[in-house]
Amino acid sequence: MAGKALHPVTCPLSPYFMRIELHDIHKYYGVSRANYGISLTIEPGTIHGILGENGAGKSTLMKIMAGIIRKSRGTILINGQPADYCSPEQAMKLGLGMLYQDPLDFPSLTVLDNFILGQTSTVRIRKQAFQCRLNRLSEQLGFSLNPDAPVKSLTIGERQQLELIRLLAIGVDVLILDEPTTGISDLQKDVLFNALKALAAEGKSVILVSHKLEDVENLCSRVTVLRHGMLSGNMTRPFSTEALLKMIFGTPPLPPLLSPIPPGYPILVMDTVSTIGGRCGLRNCSTQIREGEIVGLAGLEGSGQEQFLRLAAGMKKPTQGAIMLNGIRIDGRNHYAFKDKGVVFMPTARLEEGLIPGLSIAEHIALQNNRKGFGLQWSESLQKAEQQINWFHIKGTPNSPVETLSGGNQQRLLLSLLPETPRLLLLENPTRGLDVESTHWIWEQLQRHRLRQAGIVFSSTELDEILMIAHRILVFFDGRLTMDVDTKQTNIHELGRAIAGKH
Amino acid sequence: MKKSLGLWIGLLCLCCLTSSATALSAETPFTFGLLLVGPYNDRGYSQAHYDGGKYAEKMIPGVKMIYIDKVNPADRPGVTIPQLVDDMVEKGAKLVIANSDDMKDGIREAALLHPKIHFLHISGDDVLTRKAPKNLSNLFGKMEYGKMMAGFAAAMTSKTGKIGYLGPLINEETRRLSVSCYLGAKYAWETVLKRKPEDLKFQVTWIGFWFNIPGVTADPTQVVQNFFNTGHDVVVSGIDTTEAIVVARQKRQEGKEVWALPYDYIGACEGASEACLGIPYFNWGPGYVQRIKSSLAGNWKSEWIWLEPDWKNLNNPDTTTVGFQSGPALSPAAKQSLDGFIADIGSGKLNLFKGPLNYQDGATYLKSGEIATDQQIWYMKQLLEGMTGQSSTK
Amino acid sequence: MNIISLTHKRLLTAVVDWSITLICIGAFTTLILLATGAPPVSTYYHIFMGAFGSWVKFGHSVKAWIPLTLCACGLLYTFKIGLWNIGIEGQMIMGAVFATGILKWGVGSENEILFLWLSFPAGLVGGALWAVVSGFLKTKCGVNEIFAGLGLNFMAQGLILWLIFGHWKQPGIASMSGTETFPQTLWLPQAFAVNVPPTGIMLTILALCITAYILRFTRIGLNLTAIGNNATASVLFGLHPDRYMLLAMSLAGGLSGLAGCIQVVAVYHRLIPSISSGYGYLALLVVMLAGFRAGMTAIISLFFACLNVGSIQLPMVLQLDSSLSGVIQGAMVLVTLGVHAWRKRRAAS
Repeated sequence: MAGKALHPVTCPLSPYFMRIELHDIHKYYGVSRANYGISLTIEPGTIHGILGENGAGKSTLMKIMAGIIRKSRGTILINGQPADYCSPEQAMKLGLGMLYQDPLDFPSLTVLDNFILGQTSTVRIRKQAFQCRLNRLSEQLGFSLNPDAPVKSLTIGERQQLELIRLLAIGVDVLILDEPTTGISDLQKDVLFNALKALAAEGKSVILVSHKLEDVENLCSRVTVLRHGMLSGNMTRPFSTEALLKMIFGTPPLPPLLSPIPPGYPILVMDTVSTIGGRCGLRNCSTQIREGEIVGLAGLEGSGQEQFLRLAAGMKKPTQGAIMLNGIRIDGRNHYAFKDKGVVFMPTARLEEGLIPGLSIAEHIALQNNRKGFGLQWSESLQKAEQQINWFHIKGTPNSPVETLSGGNQQRLLLSLLPETPRLLLLENPTRGLDVESTHWIWEQLQRHRLRQAGIVFSSTELDEILMIAHRILVFFDGRLTMDVDTKQTNIHELGRAIAGKH
Repeated sequence: MKKSLGLWIGLLCLCCLTSSATALSAETPFTFGLLLVGPYNDRGYSQAHYDGGKYAEKMIPGVKMIYIDKVNPADRPGVTIPQLVDDMVEKGAKLVIANSDDMKDGIREAALLHPKIHFLHISGDDVLTRKAPKNLSNLFGKMEYGKMMAGFAAAMTSKTGKIGYLGPLINEETRRLSVSCYLGAKYAWETVLKRKPEDLKFQVTWIGFWFNIPGVTADPTQVVQNFFNTGHDVVVSGIDTTEAIVVARQKRQEGKEVWALPYDYIGACEGASEACLGIPYFNWGPGYVQRIKSSLAGNWKSEWIWLEPDWKNLNNPDTTTVGFQSGPALSPAAKQSLDGFIADIGSGKLNLFKGPLNYQDGATYLKSGEIATDQQIWYMKQLLEGMTGQSSTK
Repeated sequence: MNIISLTHKRLLTAVVDWSITLICIGAFTTLILLATGAPPVSTYYHIFMGAFGSWVKFGHSVKAWIPLTLCACGLLYTFKIGLWNIGIEGQMIMGAVFATGILKWGVGSENEILFLWLSFPAGLVGGALWAVVSGFLKTKCGVNEIFAGLGLNFMAQGLILWLIFGHWKQPGIASMSGTETFPQTLWLPQAFAVNVPPTGIMLTILALCITAYILRFTRIGLNLTAIGNNATASVLFGLHPDRYMLLAMSLAGGLSGLAGCIQVVAVYHRLIPSISSGYGYLALLVVMLAGFRAGMTAIISLFFACLNVGSIQLPMVLQLDSSLSGVIQGAMVLVTLGVHAWRKRRAAS
């Protein structure tokens, strides 16, 4: 793919070189600050990387540039002229467009209809002309999109391509991409990167937000690193990984330790359990989780891991088969019964399933602790919250509403809410979207429970993480448990094949 | 800034509270308040009262009316009679007239709260039942005569012999009036037209209130349509509003030969005269004038007053309380008979409340030759034998 | 940034917020009045005087405030847990029906006062039962509480009509106007000068304070909020959303049932078809406008009660249709919500 010569992209609208300068940008949410005095320049025709750990202020800065949120202070200059805009529409008119992590499209419409949306103001739509334009753009960028396919049948990567083309057709000259490589295949990543390079060669500016060092190093000509909402440093090619890591984390992280402890008696036993739900349900699953064991769940998203975890947590009931907890049959009981026996479930969608938006950290602590009695012990909860914030390095105050915390801090809070002595921890993608440092830190905390002989089951989309952390790996494919193996007896290639359904 | 604003509002409130009582009650020598159950322009019961009040304003110098209409819990949720009376008294009313049977309890309560104000309840019987405090009187007109004439005109005109009576709610008053209507119809049918008694069908259908309250009462428009669709060709209205005549007019335009008699208000036939056989109506002016004068003169007593029509001229606005305006659709022959009928009743030659008459369940109402007393007529306990429809509830 | 300047800033924001809202409301309603041909200044004047013009008038406003606030208080619980308790009208009606049942039983008994007091718990139970039906439909059968509530409202309305026209009719009379008025011994005693029942005021204030306390300082309040904001997550915290929904519904139903009871014992002294006076639906607006806060609820419902009582002046003095007050009310709600949404957007960006 890389060898294929790219056609020069002839932009349908007049090419327009844009130089963006940010001066002293501040953004406050109440008392907490997301951006503090950030200044940077984006030259036309470059691919500019923005790096930083979770909660460093990358997303906020991008959203300010794209007009989605308003800055508290500071100026934005476009080609030396101050630009004041406060909505994505106005930003787009000026030539700034953002490609979101989840593309904003209409799943039930076709590719062509989505492409046309927002581009036409006439009542009668000349579909033919738009189709030509769509095909031409997609060919120029090396994409292959079928105009008549419904968007819901596309992969994330293809939806991204469509959105990219749409932005270009609208006349966007500065493209902001927020974590574009999450959830797309390596092949699609190559296609995307080539397209971005071609666009930059045309004089367009590309801003790439990522926490994947590798991507940024491969693609960008210049990198800006944010840390704690402030500018941590800039670097132009060639990059020094060492130096970048230092800018991102302060000190480079260490790989987590895996101390071998022999597993004990089974805590949870599943015997030919089936359930429905999710993309393909779960069929005839039999396995057991033992004391002091860390089990990693691998598989493409929606292959049955979600159902497995929810069955083990009592969040849903099996249609057949038996589940034993501590040697006692428990299937058919609800989550509260599982919880009483020390089973803890931590879902992947933090704000949707795990935390309660609108409540503060202290209120979450109160929820967790004040089981008995009528009144609330506020001072106690505040004190405990303060303690946990310190212990778990949560960036926030006891009174911060959880939705104002960054993803990583939400994850830390969830972790801090775990009971003292759980018997079985069920963690769904516990480190998704977290940077290396946070991931490492979280596993360090979790090891504590394992040393207490608790069982830990976690799912992850990162095979590396599973290979590094888990003692045993369960691979799911199409609703079935297809592989149950000791970590030591397998390798990444074998796992990769199993995940793809090949033996 | 916020504090001073609050202070100003507080001051304003205080000023209002202290000043209002003195400010409003000055000036007019005599104000009376009128509580109307329906809209003041309903072309029915409430408009008749409103016009009566206007008449009194015109006839007695220095008298001023304040009124409020739609006084019923459906139209004005949360508003109570004592609350409105309180307000009228604050506005200087010395006499308060409540026009609906429905206000019976509320007006009694208000009368107890304001012993110095005079109260006139239309259609009630608190004085008879000795529930009324000293400042409360009852007033009504002898509408049974009007209803007899309506029934008479209906039976004279009906081709099918099926007459529908659109009844409001069921109580002594409404039974009394439907019975009167029936007696008039029966007289016309059997005595004047000399037709077979069993060929006259007199159906009473109640809607549940004085006028339509959607979702609560039966819909009078539908009831009337149902009458006409089931072979009734004359509908006599007993409710406050004009649905009967409106539907009759529509049916005539569709080519059906039907008639109706509205109720309460002299102008109720306007615009639908081709279907109108006549209107028994109230003319409250003279009654109001009499009561206001008595209140002004300081000789108010707790009385139960049941005013007669002026038999010399049923349609004299200065003298009669109950009138009958015959409608354009009434044939000349029928009109002639009606005039004779009116003359006979007026002279006392004819009394329809005379035995033998039986109640609907067969029990005796009046023995043969017995003439009903006012009380027997007022407290009508059932419909009469020969009428169909409910006497009470299921 | 020190704390004093922060609270100062917050106060200032609040003042600015309210000023903008009030100005917008004023402008919008004035426009509407002008459009309908009503003279704005005298309209406002007469509404104001109608509600505050004398102690007696203010007393009537308070009398309307009592049931409205009780309903709004109840709704605070259901809104907290994220339920739209549209069924509040029906719950109020059932409270009135239960209270009437007890009172009818008590007519002519030796200690009528006992039955008068019994009517309060009866109203409470009536409203709560009706609400729990709706709650069960929601939690056990998955029926949306809005539809369940609407259905139950119709049923309650049907029941009240059936009782008034049938079983509880006045002797010899069949009228939709209502049941027979209770003897004065079964009326809630009123403070003589202003015709306001002190018991009702005390009950309402008590309900307000308890509600505010429960929602702010107790486990129940926190749990209701948690479930309302994220029911899925609350399960992981060991909370039972179903049980709390039933609790919230029965509290709301109980309070609105109490309001229905007060309508019977203190306002109408009998059962009438429109016993609820639409206070349930109005309370929904009150609570939304008050931003789901107990203190503001009391103030906004006083405002609405005054508007309701004061607007009677429009037909009486200005010969305007008093349904205009409904239009004003609607305009106020729309504008307030609009301004609120606008401020929120401004604050977010």
